Amino acid sequence: MDETTAFALEGQRDATGARLGMWLFILSEILLFGGLFILYSAYRYKNPVDFHHASRELDVILGTLNTIILLTSSLSMAASIAAIQRSQRKLSMVLLIATMALGLFFLLNKGFEWGAKMEHGIYPNAPTLLARAKGEILFFGLYYVMTGLHGLHVLVGVCVLLVMLILLSKGKVRSTHFTPLENSGLYWHLVDIIWIFLYPLFYLIS
Amino acid sequence: MKPEEEVRKTRYQTYALVWVTLIILTGITLSAAGRELGGWTVLIALVIAGTKSGLVLNYFMHLRSERLTVFKVIIPLVLAVFLVFILLTFSDLAFRGGVK
Repeated sequence: MDETTAFALEGQRDATGARLGMWLFILSEILLFGGLFILYSAYRYKNPVDFHHASRELDVILGTLNTIILLTSSLSMAASIAAIQRSQRKLSMVLLIATMALGLFFLLNKGFEWGAKMEHGIYPNAPTLLARAKGEILFFGLYYVMTGLHGLHVLVGVCVLLVMLILLSKGKVRSTHFTPLENSGLYWHLVDIIWIFLYPLFYLIS
Repeated sequence: MKPEEEVRKTRYQTYALVWVTLIILTGITLSAAGRELGGWTVLIALVIAGTKSGLVLNYFMHLRSERLTVFKVIIPLVLAVFLVFILLTFSDLAFRGGVK
């Protein structure tokens, strides 16, 4: 067994191969969101003033709060992996629960935000929205699709982390085999990166 | 390729420092958006978002400590593909003339 083909000793696992697979999936996700970002750029290029007006109606404080929440959840996620590497199982579980709680808090805020928009008659195909300028309709359409798809990713992430929590508690994820947690972390951070771009593009158009 | 138990461990302090930097950069994005900077606003926002992503990729996602070259190659490759998509879309948009 030379260095380039060495497997993880335990159960002939290939940790690097598993991570590479996860990275390929993450890159396909980047292109999925990338397509939507190009759509956004094209429509914003065609309708700069409408996008500006529509963006003003989004809640910057709530958007900023959600940014801080997701960044903090990324910290707790990374720390949770660091903890299990050091065989600190309880700490790792607490940090993982914190990550999930922050994820749910993010979704709760998103729910309030969407709720407030819908109360003002801003939702796909709403008569009050359709009466507005074309660019504003496009802006809110993109807003719902992109933050919605992102929110769905957060929800899936929380479910994946729940499975990881169970595996941690059963000792199936441990200091000598933490690749599942590492890969779940990669997914969680991806969701954070997507939000890093969504935040200025939707909430901060000046 | 390394067995997972030999993976280099990152210190908690490093993660905390990265988090502080990310929060500061968020603050800069927010305050820059409030100023009248014209066309620079989007560029500044995207540069800061790119910097933040770089920090998350390298530290939280451990790209920095990946040993295999393939990890360093696939991301620029995907970004290059993405750039081609952007260029094609915008060259189309820019030369459409009167059609909207």
